[in-house]
Amino acid sequence: MSGADAAITGGCLCGAVRYRVRGVLRPTLSACHCSQCRRHHGALGVYSSADAAAVEIEGCDSLRWYQSSDRARRGFCAVCGSKLFWQGIGDAALDIVAGSLDHPAGLKLARHIFVASKGDYYELTDELPTVPASN
Amino acid sequence: MAAKRQPPTHGSGRCLCGAIGFEVMGPLRDVVVCHCGQCRRQHGAPPGYSQASWENIRLTGVENLTWYRSSEGARRGFCRICGSSLFWEPIDTGRVSIAAGSLDAPTGLRTVRHIFVNDKGDYYEIADGLEQLSGSMVNARPL
Repeated sequence: MSGADAAITGGCLCGAVRYRVRGVLRPTLSACHCSQCRRHHGALGVYSSADAAAVEIEGCDSLRWYQSSDRARRGFCAVCGSKLFWQGIGDAALDIVAGSLDHPAGLKLARHIFVASKGDYYELTDELPTVPASN
Repeated sequence: MAAKRQPPTHGSGRCLCGAIGFEVMGPLRDVVVCHCGQCRRQHGAPPGYSQASWENIRLTGVENLTWYRSSEGARRGFCRICGSSLFWEPIDTGRVSIAAGSLDAPTGLRTVRHIFVNDKGDYYEIADGLEQLSGSMVNARPL
């Protein structure tokens, strides 16, 4: 479920940061292959998205923000290093890391973005749509 | 017939902000993707890991490296400034797994195996035809 009444929760590996989305979660996931996401995650950056105003965060004292470019910042847990959020500066939306969700049921990987920057150590084989740069 | 491919014997990498850097002056294992719940939580997606001997690794900015003991047998290293995931270390083995995303291009590596596929997320498929293990590599063919 991803409706307004669904209990959409998530958090980091150690449990220091928890969040609840009181609203709609975008059901389509984008896998980002840009070098920033790959360095930060040590993996692809796989994200859903929600209205930032609808996301309640607990454990904010453990949530660190790193401004990774002049247009975006990334949120992670200072205790365990789990990646949680990506937010464009001034955006009303908050992108949510798929792996941080407790129950990602109903979500589906739908596209690969920034594939022009992909790593040389893997191949793209799943036939989903690919985009050279951003969404 | 092409000569048997040899994995690289040198590599370098860094976190996103550059506070931590490393150089590997020895063989790097090809990449294994882990689908376990801990890895997917910490990285946010299934991570691909190379591996090397600690004795062949030179680290810079180690004061920015935070270790989190994620289980009895292993700890995870990340940058305290930018949060980048860099290492997964099985305790007392002398070896460390290196997140492939942290390596500078070209890596010369290739992905060869998926592990803990029984724990994979339901929102993606494994479609590359590579070897899949239901759990760990403990009893698997050495890479």
